[in-house]
Amino acid sequence: MIIAERKPFSEIKDAMAPYDKILIVGCGTCVTVCLAGGEKEVGLLAMQLKLALGLEGKHLEVGEITVERQCDLEFIQPLCGFITNYDAIISTACGVGVQFLASLYPKKPLFPGLNTTFLGVNEAMGFYTERCRACHNCYLGVTGGICPVTMCPKGLLNGPCGGNVQGKCEVDPARACAWCEIYEKLERQGRLEQIEKIQPLHPHDRSTNPGTVIHPAYRRRYDGHE
Amino acid sequence: MSKLREALEAGDFPLVAEIRPPKGVARDGWLAPVSSLQGKVKAFGVPDNEHARMRLSALVAAVLVKGAGGEPLLHLTCRDRNRLALESDLLGAAALGLENILVLSGDYVTLGDHPQAKPVYDADSVQLLQIARGLMEGSDSAGLPLEGNPNFYLGAALIPEAEPLGPQLLKFRKKVAAGAQFFVTSPIFDLERFRRFRETLGEQAVKILACVKVVGSEEVALAEQGQHRKAYSLPAAVLQKLAGKDSEEILLKGAEIAGQLLKHIRAEKLADGVYVQARGQSDLLARVLESAAG
Repeated sequence: MIIAERKPFSEIKDAMAPYDKILIVGCGTCVTVCLAGGEKEVGLLAMQLKLALGLEGKHLEVGEITVERQCDLEFIQPLCGFITNYDAIISTACGVGVQFLASLYPKKPLFPGLNTTFLGVNEAMGFYTERCRACHNCYLGVTGGICPVTMCPKGLLNGPCGGNVQGKCEVDPARACAWCEIYEKLERQGRLEQIEKIQPLHPHDRSTNPGTVIHPAYRRRYDGHE
Repeated sequence: MSKLREALEAGDFPLVAEIRPPKGVARDGWLAPVSSLQGKVKAFGVPDNEHARMRLSALVAAVLVKGAGGEPLLHLTCRDRNRLALESDLLGAAALGLENILVLSGDYVTLGDHPQAKPVYDADSVQLLQIARGLMEGSDSAGLPLEGNPNFYLGAALIPEAEPLGPQLLKFRKKVAAGAQFFVTSPIFDLERFRRFRETLGEQAVKILACVKVVGSEEVALAEQGQHRKAYSLPAAVLQKLAGKDSEEILLKGAEIAGQLLKHIRAEKLADGVYVQARGQSDLLARVLESAAG
């Protein structure tokens, strides 16, 4: 899932200075799981803004709504009539949702409430770690299910750098060296020969952004060919 | 032809002294070892933003070393350049008459003095060796032909004290397959451990330059506190010799120790040559060589 963290409150509050009536739109999927932008966090932010601005003698009217997913037209289109009543919007979705919402309501000032951080896993409530950099060229089959692009800070494709110390990463000694883990895992599985072959340069052209993926079924339906 | 290569291939046990390009454009001081060690060392290692700390371009520094009469061993890291920049710098080096290249991944940016910089690593060191080899054979990494092929003597890094060793040996094999002709090790302080590593490695067609380093007081202090976190160890016997000394005395004694290590490595044929790290200081480098001769 997509992991995000809430922006510093002062940044959000400062952005709201010109407005009297704002709407905070939460997202019910990834950012709800990572406790950053779901219904509960929308409520907290609304309260915090009203209190902080109230202390400065300003009355801010804050509307709250959380949709299932802001990255899906089906869920954000119904906000159409509702949004016109507000001066500005804060979206507590990831950057994907913020942009989708912004594109749907081009006349409305829209601000992100979160900083989107990475694609990761939910290790425990409140503890999330990165697993994928969406590089368009998955190596996991070769590297024993451990991603060298993501788990090695240098993204090295052919083995460890010289900086690891006793299997710990040069960059963060609290982490295992991804390549030591890859080696150990493949050795246990008797599949070390998989990483003996030199991995060629990564095809970065595939990940030129912004990316587009068209499912073959969509192509068949709308282009008449695959 | 590279004198370093000639000496390594002839079994002459060449020495390489590392110089330190300045953080700035000062021309004197850092080039001093080139004249003071003329005839005593075969080449001068020129680090490339070493430890991810921004300094004068290694390529330019290498040209200045050459202009001062020394043969440079240019370091080239993958950290700061994408494949276009790596390739054009390699061609640039060759066009300026530089042949010895030490290919490195490069310490990560957050460990250096520009921690917010974007790390590149478009190629890793194995892939960069392949790129350099491809250039020598007349084509760039996109397969396009060159007008005039460069010639390089290609080196890479080797970590004898890596734990676990398996992944490092995998990388070593790939570097050899990708075209590395010589290796420079991480600093050696524990000769016994290095001896065991050489036995593990067995006979190799590639040449190995063992690195000896003049250790400084900061590193000694970390080791004494059990906080020394490097790809090489500082054995208790070395620390004992440096205990209770001030920083200047540590450097002088460190140079003596480095010289003794050099002497043993040469006498026992544990490597094909030695790479000396002595903060790029003429006096320390000279002291290492004196100690090795004694």
